[in-house]
Amino acid sequence: MSIALRGVTKQFGEYAAVENIDLDVATGALMALLGPSGSGKTTLLRIIGGLEKPDEGQVLFDGQDATLWPIGDRKVGFVFQQYALFRHMTVFENVAFGLKVKRRRERPTAADIRKKVQDLLALVQLSWAHDRYPAQLSGGQRQRVALARAMAIDPKVLLLDEPFGALDSQVRHELRRWLRRLHDELHFTSIIVTHDQQEAIEVADSVVVLNRGRIEQVGIPGDIYDMPKSAFVHRFLGQVNELPVQLRDGRAYVGPIDISAAADVQTGSTKNIALIRPHEIEIGPAASGWPATVVAVRVIGPIVRLELCAAGQPLHEPLEAEISSERFEAERFTVGQKVGLRFRRWQVYPAAA
Amino acid sequence: MGRLLLIVTALLFLGLFLLLPLLAVFAQALAKGFGAYYIAISQPMAWAAVKLTLLVAGIAVPLNLIFGVAAAWAVAKFDFRGKSALITLIDLPFAVSPVIAGMIFILVFGTHGWFGGFLRAHHIRVVFAVPGIVLATIFVTFPFIARELIPVMQAQGKDDEETALSLGATGWQTFWRVTLPNIRWGLLYGVLLCNARAMGEFGAVSVVSGHIRGVTNTMPLHVEILYNEYNYTAAFAVASLLALLALLTLAGKSILEWRQPELRHAARRPRDRTRRVNT
Repeated sequence: MSIALRGVTKQFGEYAAVENIDLDVATGALMALLGPSGSGKTTLLRIIGGLEKPDEGQVLFDGQDATLWPIGDRKVGFVFQQYALFRHMTVFENVAFGLKVKRRRERPTAADIRKKVQDLLALVQLSWAHDRYPAQLSGGQRQRVALARAMAIDPKVLLLDEPFGALDSQVRHELRRWLRRLHDELHFTSIIVTHDQQEAIEVADSVVVLNRGRIEQVGIPGDIYDMPKSAFVHRFLGQVNELPVQLRDGRAYVGPIDISAAADVQTGSTKNIALIRPHEIEIGPAASGWPATVVAVRVIGPIVRLELCAAGQPLHEPLEAEISSERFEAERFTVGQKVGLRFRRWQVYPAAA
Repeated sequence: MGRLLLIVTALLFLGLFLLLPLLAVFAQALAKGFGAYYIAISQPMAWAAVKLTLLVAGIAVPLNLIFGVAAAWAVAKFDFRGKSALITLIDLPFAVSPVIAGMIFILVFGTHGWFGGFLRAHHIRVVFAVPGIVLATIFVTFPFIARELIPVMQAQGKDDEETALSLGATGWQTFWRVTLPNIRWGLLYGVLLCNARAMGEFGAVSVVSGHIRGVTNTMPLHVEILYNEYNYTAAFAVASLLALLALLTLAGKSILEWRQPELRHAARRPRDRTRRVNT
């Protein structure tokens, strides 16, 4: 099912949770709503699922206006961060819930329910947990039960609200991959809310970055990361070094480095900043580029992070650079070493943003 | 050492203030032997008081069960204007002295009260009759169930209900199959407290009852009358019945819990809530 939002606005008292949102989700897509706390991503998800009514605007399901449809008629499967499993029911009863509450005419027979629940539990690899209570399962297992329960009603749309937020990183990583596979096999439309850019990039086909109730950027994960349209998106999607841009004689500089060559330099009276990701900093011999001193070296598996104090920069704000461990093996940078910096890429934004 | 001291202090306190009085009631009641005890509790007036007390509790507790669940449900699961005013209102019976509660009903329903003329014209007796006692008891015991449930329901949040609705359950199905099982232990405690107070209420009931023997005397009122007549054995005999009813409800609760051990286990263990990262 395709989903479209048209001019959706929702206020909580004085506070605008989402403002004038237009968004299209294609059938079968896996879209991530990414943003910090308070960016409106959960509110947007709840509006799509029917848990909140928008103050203005429309929600379209396959082109039909679904804004006022009751939640039970929308055929959406919800998965919450805290699993929301029914504690007094076994795993089997939890998954069977959506089938058992159907109207008598639509309700499958007990045997059919049993069959379907068993199939779903097999799908989430929890057949053995059948008669367990939620309290007896681990977090990852509970979330898989919650997914099986949501899928029991054959949803057209799966809505996941920070589904892996309460799990440790190992389990989170496994479940992401597993969710991706499941999505590819079963072809429903999924929307996942997350504040973790890693998660969004890893799992989704397209990412919507939200900030203060507005959409900052929509795109495929690679584009969002490499071609952020605003300083907010640039910062939110990964580590950045922020450096002031100085204008001298009609040219733009970061430190002594001339960055005027880039087409995106905005000259004029506004103050600009350049954002440079750690891996976009090139470290060369001391004589070349911006003189700097290595102040810290940290090996993190395949990458090595260096902190560098560049000439003319405040001491307490060292630049962060990342190089591969192979490169590090070859060069062996040490604390105190003098080096020269160059930038492979950078983006310039107005300083206020 | 400190731990031992604490335990001994707690036990001494419990013994002195809880167990000893209870034993004293039964000891006094049986002071003149089982024969005198039997005669005292088989008096028609005593039986009328027992029946009235059970009747009043039998009406007040189910009604407050409904009111309490509805009020707690509204407060915990919905946001609306005047919510804090509602919470204050729920607490009102705790804040007001029971005697005043009784006076309120006299003022409203008494012969010279606001609805006195109307009630007399329609031959309805409220004050100095059973309806007045029931009303006063409902008023006094109103907060017990709601107060017990509101924190339980608030702690559980709305996720379970929203999930049930998204799975196609109706509001009614959601209540019976998800909400009620989630709150049942809190509800049980609320009902027990409510019941204990409904059977034991003295002040408010005393004001509206009129103390008509065999008609509007509940057990606590009957105990007082007997006591004032220096009929100690009979007074303590009826008091022991009241205490026995209380012990029975406690026993009933224990049996319920004992019969569903794994559900109790599931209900008591708090859901491991890692702090929500997102709002």
